[in-house]
Amino acid sequence: MNAITRRHFFGRSATGLGAAALWSLAGGTARAKGGLTGLPHFAPRAKRVIYLFQSGGPSQMETFDYKPRLKDFQGTDLPESIRQGQRLTQMSSAQASFPVVPSKFAFAQHGQSGAWVSELMPYTAKVADDLTFVKSTYTDAINHDPAVTFLQTGSQIAGRPSMGSWVVYGLGSETEDLPAFVVMISPGAGGTGQPLYDRLWGAGFLPSRYQGVKFRSVGDPVLYLSNPEGFGGAERRDYLDALAKLNQGTMDEFGDPEISTRIAQYEMAFRMQSSVPDLVDFSKETAATIDSYGPDARKPGTYAYNCLLARRLAERGVRFIQLYHRDWDHHGGLPKALPKLCRQTDQPTAALIADLKQRGMLDDTLVVWGGEFGRTVYCQGRLTADDYGRDHHPRCFTVWMAGGGIRPGITLGKTDDYCYNITERPVHVYDLQATILNCLGIDHTRLTFLFKGRHFRLTDVGGNAVKEILRA
Amino acid sequence: MLWGGWIWAAASAPVEFNRDVRPILSDRCYTCHGPDRASRQSPLRLDQEQSAHPALAHILERITSTDTGFRMPPAYMGRERLTDAEIDVLRRWIEQGGKYEPHWSLIPPKKAALPAVREPSWPRNPVDAFVLARLEHEGTAHAPDADPSTLVRRLSFDLTGLPPTPAETQAFLADRSPDAYEKLVDRLLASPRYGERMAIRWLEAARYADTNGYSNDGPRDMWRWRDWVIGAFNRNMPFDRFTVEQIAGDLLPDATVSQRVATAFNRNHRTSAEGGIVDEEFRLGYVGDRVETTSTVWLGTTIGCARCHDHKYDPYTQKEYYQLSAFFNNTPDRGFVYNFGNEPPYIHAPLPEQQAKLDALDAKIAAARQRLDSLEPAVDHAYAAWTPPAEWNVREGLVTGTPQLEYKDPFTFAARITPKSPKGAILSIGEDYFEGKGHYLLLIDGKLRLHVTFRYSDLSLRVETADALPPGKTQHVLVTYDGGMRAKGVHMYVDGRDMPLKVLFDYGIWPIENKEPLRIGAGAGLRWDGAIDDVRIYKRALSPREAALVAMTDAAARARTRDAFLDLAPPHEYLAARAALHELERDRAGLMASIPTVMVMEELPHPRDTFVLKRGAYDAPGDKVEPRTPAVLPPFQPGWPANRLGLARWLVDRGNPLTARVTVNRFWQMLWGVGLVKTVEDFGSQGEWPAHQELLDWLAVEFMDSGWDVKHIMKTMVMSAAYRQASRETPQSLEKDPENRLLARGARFRLPAEMIRDQALAVSGLLVERAGGPSVKPYQPPGLWQELFGGKGYVADHGDGLYRRSIYTYWRRTVAPPAMMSFDSPSREVCVVREERTNTPLQALNLMNDTVYLEASRKLAERMVKGGGIESGVRLVLGRDPRPAERTVLTAALEKFRARYRAHPGDAAKYLTQGESPRDPSIQPAELASWTAVASLLLNMDEAVTRQ
Repeated sequence: MNAITRRHFFGRSATGLGAAALWSLAGGTARAKGGLTGLPHFAPRAKRVIYLFQSGGPSQMETFDYKPRLKDFQGTDLPESIRQGQRLTQMSSAQASFPVVPSKFAFAQHGQSGAWVSELMPYTAKVADDLTFVKSTYTDAINHDPAVTFLQTGSQIAGRPSMGSWVVYGLGSETEDLPAFVVMISPGAGGTGQPLYDRLWGAGFLPSRYQGVKFRSVGDPVLYLSNPEGFGGAERRDYLDALAKLNQGTMDEFGDPEISTRIAQYEMAFRMQSSVPDLVDFSKETAATIDSYGPDARKPGTYAYNCLLARRLAERGVRFIQLYHRDWDHHGGLPKALPKLCRQTDQPTAALIADLKQRGMLDDTLVVWGGEFGRTVYCQGRLTADDYGRDHHPRCFTVWMAGGGIRPGITLGKTDDYCYNITERPVHVYDLQATILNCLGIDHTRLTFLFKGRHFRLTDVGGNAVKEILRA
Repeated sequence: MLWGGWIWAAASAPVEFNRDVRPILSDRCYTCHGPDRASRQSPLRLDQEQSAHPALAHILERITSTDTGFRMPPAYMGRERLTDAEIDVLRRWIEQGGKYEPHWSLIPPKKAALPAVREPSWPRNPVDAFVLARLEHEGTAHAPDADPSTLVRRLSFDLTGLPPTPAETQAFLADRSPDAYEKLVDRLLASPRYGERMAIRWLEAARYADTNGYSNDGPRDMWRWRDWVIGAFNRNMPFDRFTVEQIAGDLLPDATVSQRVATAFNRNHRTSAEGGIVDEEFRLGYVGDRVETTSTVWLGTTIGCARCHDHKYDPYTQKEYYQLSAFFNNTPDRGFVYNFGNEPPYIHAPLPEQQAKLDALDAKIAAARQRLDSLEPAVDHAYAAWTPPAEWNVREGLVTGTPQLEYKDPFTFAARITPKSPKGAILSIGEDYFEGKGHYLLLIDGKLRLHVTFRYSDLSLRVETADALPPGKTQHVLVTYDGGMRAKGVHMYVDGRDMPLKVLFDYGIWPIENKEPLRIGAGAGLRWDGAIDDVRIYKRALSPREAALVAMTDAAARARTRDAFLDLAPPHEYLAARAALHELERDRAGLMASIPTVMVMEELPHPRDTFVLKRGAYDAPGDKVEPRTPAVLPPFQPGWPANRLGLARWLVDRGNPLTARVTVNRFWQMLWGVGLVKTVEDFGSQGEWPAHQELLDWLAVEFMDSGWDVKHIMKTMVMSAAYRQASRETPQSLEKDPENRLLARGARFRLPAEMIRDQALAVSGLLVERAGGPSVKPYQPPGLWQELFGGKGYVADHGDGLYRRSIYTYWRRTVAPPAMMSFDSPSREVCVVREERTNTPLQALNLMNDTVYLEASRKLAERMVKGGGIESGVRLVLGRDPRPAERTVLTAALEKFRARYRAHPGDAAKYLTQGESPRDPSIQPAELASWTAVASLLLNMDEAVTRQ
């Protein structure tokens, strides 16, 4: 590349007009590539995020929010003084009664912090001192699609950039061989669960290069990654050499810097063709490490496999790693279904925390666990001796955070005895988002993008970072 | 001059409020000093003349202050200090008198006098006069004309979306006539491909897709509207009519099917079938989407911002937003929609051949009816002579045993009951608890009630009689349902009388899959107290007349009826005529079932009330509003109806300053990659000042003067010398004007996603050209849908469906075609009008490894082997002869691949398995594989995916 072109390329990138900001070109002088100037706004405590999204809305009453008094209220109708006319989904608003149902599962306190954890989460209980529980998270949305979209993009209406896209747009990438924002999905115990959509990791109105790249569990981990059968790496190398010469000829004639960028992108594609297979090759992991993630860790597409892959992605400098585990939507049959979901996720989640910690990576990796909303204290559908279900509940749910930027071992916020309303330190979704950005050294009010005449941001017009749980 | 943040104006030049000052004030100050009353923090307004305000004198002091507590914009709001250049503009503006102007885009466009130029030989039409005058003013030279071969390829993509064939290129190069270029333009504009090329951008603006978009993302059928759009562009429907028919075709006098199909524009928005959603919340969301889309597409305004509060930058109040939304709030559609197809209102939109069959059948049916009627006297005669039997009842469709009923099956339940209690189950085929799944005929509070339930809470149909039945009395009850998934298809009869009904819940829109037995006197957790007799179930909805017959208590009297006679002993001729009519009616029903439907706009007979919604929340209505257009725009004529038709007339009224400008600007973007106003979606305060306002205005007025003639305005643009310039860039041109906003050279930009694929199909000979029709499913990576939705996932077509133009590719919004997405297609979730282009490694992987490109490479290779070799490949793909250096590189590559595949014939065979089309057996596999790799190189060249 000649000097003018090169300068031009980076000039365009900086104004968001050029191409490969995410997939950097030059060889490793500066660390982060393609971020905005002026970011991070202040010293970051986390360099990357692993978001363990529990899609469908796990019940807080069966997992982390211990409510002993519910036994006393069992079967009684939820008092109007608690419900306060709050809206319900159309699924249970037609219900004649709202009988309170306590958790079938026992709780105990764990670690120095004395965090309450359900018997369904024995592995998580062991790492409880590394976690900080926010029991007073709440959201505006009451159904899956709007609620997941709200958590991921700051708006219930799809179309805005996802959290990962914002982060990569602001901070750029720390890897040259992998996408900066990777998404992985695992099915729940009862099949796939609630639908998820490409737009949840979409770039919205940000340039499309900031969108998350979904690593697939079928076929190529990255779409179109593999060369066709009968066309190997050596052929591809010859091919790319010839292509670069052809394109350079066009460059010499037309002088369009996009041509140089395209030559570079083909090289990047070639690098990905080897870096991705290396990423998913677990042969250099010790058996002990793999086993710590549980029996599913060798099965591609499982939550356990994705947790281990998340650690490997983090090691390689991927900025935002988003896992989705599905099927937490227990409208009925909760006592049978929920333990299965916990079995699928508990051990891998705890192993990820321990593995990151042991490698010294937990200090600069922020891990977040949670769903899009909580569940109702009253039973949805038929309440029988050993069966119940719970509807969506936006007014309180538990999210835990760990690692970079978070003070460990805290339990923040409280809900009432019915686990219906927040009684102490409400944390809105915007506050959660602001907190995550804060850990990365981003002031959420200053990471903005001008679109249709407005400076948009992840937290719209709300949000305050939760200072109590942030490390100084 | 302020362009996207670059300040070019010389220090002494006079500032213009609209061009130089407003963008700064809008972006930096209007949040607190602008049009939004609620967020205005100070009586000082900077969006309008307020010169007497004392604070104005202190502006400079405030914006230049180093005291962050005193400085504007305030640091405590997270705002940065103005740049020195911005401060300088404001300083000069104040020095020059601080004059305000209304925003430029609100002043109707006028044709300015053509500017004088120093090089009068260059301009070919008025477009060039504006371009050249500006270039001369800036001291920049225009570029020479592009090579003819470059021009023909550029034009072919721009006007038809496909490359020229080598023969077409040759013909143009050989044509020495002075109007050769114009003839080429006319030929391309007349091509049916033109409509497809123009339509795809319109589809993106209209957020067209084949699925609903939320949650399970079920299918819908809107492709007849796509056919309509393609046809309208090809027939060159004037843009004003194109507008009126899409906004309000249904309200035109004697609206045709085609005009009603056009209104699907405003039904293309996403809809939700997610259980548990609040219907009204989503319905109002759809109304909001229509406002947003309509205002973006026609007005280039972001009035959608005023949904929750007054607009922060432009002069639109929240009330005006809701007044505009009132135009779209009158459709009888719902928020919670059907998940397996079109949601009412929809119409049948027959294809021409289907319409012909329908007309023929209707004529035959009319004749058959006439024939049947003509036999009435003979029937009367025979009936009079007939000896009735002792007993008879309506037989057709009667079910014996447990019927299998689904939510779309029509049925009739009937029984003679003597209730002793006001609550009980008459019959049921469903789970035995009140909210259970299934079909139930109940008595609740003495009222006759029907439940058809999948999930009681949200997917259920529940209807009851308005009044209670008299207790203790023996009476006949009969309920019919037409299978139409709506409560209006339910009738209830008591002793043969059609009863007034009350609809309790109207969402019988989900399959039931019931294996429960038929229970009489039980079900829904209820039991019957009293007597039940003569239970009858029909698998069709009986007519009112039949309902009355079944209800008759005197069996002998029923057996004497004319109905009984016609059922048991009709005259032979009558029987034959009735059978003939029924057969025709069955044929017609069959035909109707095969006719595509499309969701359309309709007006409710009584308009819904529209309210200002506080903070935009569906459950926080404020003042009631009437349909009205924003005050800052020209008035709504008194002669126009206050509905969508009036709105459409207003949009294309000569006095509307926006529609023509916004529209020609989008056309310009199609030809130059970027609009004259780069923010094609926003002509407001936060939008970009036009790079060439006089040119934009000239084009807008010319467009209207021509009768909104789209082909004329497209032709005007491409006939210009500016358009024909070569697109070579130099370090100097890149340095001075990297985005080519001065138009000193031709535009060079990557092809849109659909053209990249369509080109590969075309040059390989795979393309199957057929205008219109349902969407097709070309190759997609395995597992594309399963991972997100489970089920059997995406099943690709075989044969032609693999090779149609990309505008016909099935578009599932939540898993949009990945290759289209990686080449920057909008996701079709919301209206998008800005064309974006990125350059990523995922694109490289796609072009190198996607089945469609590998197959196209193989077929292109066959063409090259069969004749012309490298030369013909380059001509097919790039539309020109290869350069010597290219010939060398490609030949060397070919030799390398040859050596490789001759040594490894097994790899060659594997490499050639991509795609469904057969391989030419006359070519040696190793040879074809080597050429396939070379063909793939051609398709991956930067020049191949670029129009230049």
